[in-house]
Amino acid sequence: MPEPELEKDFSLEGSMPEGAAPLESIVCTEELHRRPSRPPDFEKENRALVALVTALSDSASTIFQTLAETILNVTKCDSAGLSLLTPDGGKRYYWPAIAGMLAPHLGGGTLMPVVPAAEECLLVPFYVDGKAVGTIWGIMHSDRRRFDSEDERILNSLGQFASVAYRTVASVDNLKVQIAARETAEAELRERATGLEARVRRLIDANLMGIFTWNLEGRIVEANETFLKMVQWGREDVGSAGMRWTDLTPEQWRARDELAVADLKAAGAMQPYRKEYFRKDGSRVPVLVGATLFEEGGNDGVAFALDLSEQERAEEAFRRVEEQARAIVDSALDAVVAMDAEGIITDWNKQAEETFGWTRPEALGRRMSDTIIPAQYRLSHERGLKHFFKTGEGPVLNRRIEITALRRDGTEFPVELAITPLKSGDTWTFSSFIRDITAPRQAQEDLRKAQAELAHVNRVMTMGELTASIAHEVNQPLAAILASGDSCTAWLGNEPPNLDRARAALGRITQAATQASEIVQRLRALFRKTTSLTTSVDVNAVIEDTISLVHHETQRHNIFLRTELTRGAPSVSGDRVQLQQVILNLAMNGIESVAGLDNEPKRLMIRSTLSNPGELLVSVEDTGVGIDAEHADRLFAPFFTTKPQGIGMGLPICRSIIEAHGGRLWAAKNEPRGAAFHFILPARAE
Amino acid sequence: MSDPKSIVFVVDDDPLLRDSVADLLGAAGWTVQTFGSATQFIQSPRPDVSACLVLDVELPDLSGLDLQIELAKSGAGMPIVFLTGRGDIPMSVRAMKAGAVGFLTKPFRKEELFDAIHEALLRDVEVRKERLESEELRKRLGTLTPRERQVLALVVTGLLNKQIAGELGTTEETIKVHRGRVMSKMGAGSLAELVRMAEKLKVSS
Repeated sequence: MPEPELEKDFSLEGSMPEGAAPLESIVCTEELHRRPSRPPDFEKENRALVALVTALSDSASTIFQTLAETILNVTKCDSAGLSLLTPDGGKRYYWPAIAGMLAPHLGGGTLMPVVPAAEECLLVPFYVDGKAVGTIWGIMHSDRRRFDSEDERILNSLGQFASVAYRTVASVDNLKVQIAARETAEAELRERATGLEARVRRLIDANLMGIFTWNLEGRIVEANETFLKMVQWGREDVGSAGMRWTDLTPEQWRARDELAVADLKAAGAMQPYRKEYFRKDGSRVPVLVGATLFEEGGNDGVAFALDLSEQERAEEAFRRVEEQARAIVDSALDAVVAMDAEGIITDWNKQAEETFGWTRPEALGRRMSDTIIPAQYRLSHERGLKHFFKTGEGPVLNRRIEITALRRDGTEFPVELAITPLKSGDTWTFSSFIRDITAPRQAQEDLRKAQAELAHVNRVMTMGELTASIAHEVNQPLAAILASGDSCTAWLGNEPPNLDRARAALGRITQAATQASEIVQRLRALFRKTTSLTTSVDVNAVIEDTISLVHHETQRHNIFLRTELTRGAPSVSGDRVQLQQVILNLAMNGIESVAGLDNEPKRLMIRSTLSNPGELLVSVEDTGVGIDAEHADRLFAPFFTTKPQGIGMGLPICRSIIEAHGGRLWAAKNEPRGAAFHFILPARAE
Repeated sequence: MSDPKSIVFVVDDDPLLRDSVADLLGAAGWTVQTFGSATQFIQSPRPDVSACLVLDVELPDLSGLDLQIELAKSGAGMPIVFLTGRGDIPMSVRAMKAGAVGFLTKPFRKEELFDAIHEALLRDVEVRKERLESEELRKRLGTLTPRERQVLALVVTGLLNKQIAGELGTTEETIKVHRGRVMSKMGAGSLAELVRMAEKLKVSS
């Protein structure tokens, strides 16, 4: 059935008694949706509706007042009421019912001059046949509570009832008018309008809800369209055809029915309750039923039935969504922790229980900073929060950061943390996803150690290849020391001692000893198992040091080693020993590739250039045999080697070192022949 | 302990070690002359006195071993004491085979160096003496007539005068005269001495 077109152009605000609710106090739907809300309370809503329906069947004249009180009751507001447009089609309102704090100020549909101020006003219009006829509303006169979307939902539902009630009352009022107008019909009509049966008849005919009359034997005497539609039976099935409410009731609800019948027999009334009826096709429809006997101790009565399927579906859907959300949050591998604007924990999932050692009930309501933030970071946490509220900026928000967290037992551990701020209403909620990265950190650390170990082995092996050169490097000054020592002794033994020559010899000893200790120092760094030490490194100096290590090797093989170092090249940030290892490895590779050449020029070139601003490029180029195309893609693979004694870890280690420094290492062809290895390192930010 | 008339040449590219070795040898009384590279050494004139060479194996231009070969080829060979930074057996074998006197690994004791230099200089004296001797013999050999050379060649093979006469188609008497001239021209006191000289000169028929 298409929705009737709703009238839009009437003044909603005007429905408020003048002075009772200033414009700015009226809260709009969007605002409500931003606020945190209670979950829907369908049970409460049902109870209210049943009470209203019962009241309507009981006394139409007081139904508006009952409605106002119901609003007051379910929304826990301070004042509530119903505004109706004057029936002349005009735009004026009058107030047939007001409850709560405003009630004493209302007399005969007009408001007294002094009224309590409104903090917030929630207003819902209602319609009859698409025409706005009035509004229902609630007012908070203080800020002890604020409306939420659940209030709005219930008010909407009550608005629909108001529309029903309006029609009922209007028909009663109509009758009154008619009575007044047509004297002759008055008596008859009054008789019909005042009797209980007449009122029930009106309700039945209004088809606002399923209504049927019944007797204690189980028969349904009469039923309205709504009820028949609800159970999908036809009019012809009712009455003499023998449609029985007992037959409509599934086995499991019989006992509950008997209880209700017992109540009816004893007190003439019963609590409405939820049950199911069979439809004609055997499926079931959930309903809320309430019943009453026409007269105490009688056999016949009337019952209403509200179809709950729609509502139960909605409830079920809501429950499912909530369950799913909970399940997702609980099954999340990350700890999920939510915090409100005051820093109080408002959510805590299973993983959070495991990660931090606080159970959900224990954690909820605690201060977030006292619970999971180590003492030394709390101040900056509070400061950051304050800064966020002031400026809306949060450098740690909406991205993954690594930080230290606190367990219940006081231990601290590394976590990956992502915080998402959520605005609801004008307040904030912060959801944090926290992952314990102790294990990955450890793994990373182990890997780093293993790599360092391997790098050390590689260094020692490379140095092993250099033993001859190293021995020469050290033995050279040692030989000078020994020789000069002996000659010094000889000069002193002369008669008279030749002191000048002895002094000169001692000078050479000092010089040679200094040379030797410098060499040893250079070597020691390479042999040491160092943990990575990041400093500012002058790459040119590292290249020069490396050359002094391989100098002898190049000489031995008659290799022409040349360098082109860019003066004033920026330094890089990194580990000197590791970078020297890379250059040494590349230089040794180059030496090996040209050493075996017979008639070709044996050249090795080491260059440093400023490739891009902020990037230092180091190249080691040789005129050797070059890289076979078939090896090119495996060059950097671990354990790939073309050397008989190689273990194939040199280049992979070099690459991992360069990459750990934020750079790149690659191989290329050297022109006109040979291979070239290049690496780029980011210059150190000054 | 050292002969000031002989010279020790030191060739090493490391100035510190070169100076130290030169100073040590100088303190011991030797006359020392130093060079920074093989080329420098080859190009400089050398006095005609007994000498030896203290040579670093690892030189930047021409390696010590190559210099050894070069010197031998040019007939200016002299006893060499090699110095090296690393004990490399194949290299030392090669050097010794080519006539090196010593192969010292740095750092070395002065006694090792001195002993090697002594031996080298002694050997140089020997060599020089032999060189002089063979030059003298060659001079004497040059004074023989072709006939006398023929006779010499046959005498040192151990033939009798009669057999030589038969070989050359002349009389025993004539051979006797030739033989006497050969003995006196060569300055040999006995046949045995003449045979030794012929061996040295590699005279053959």
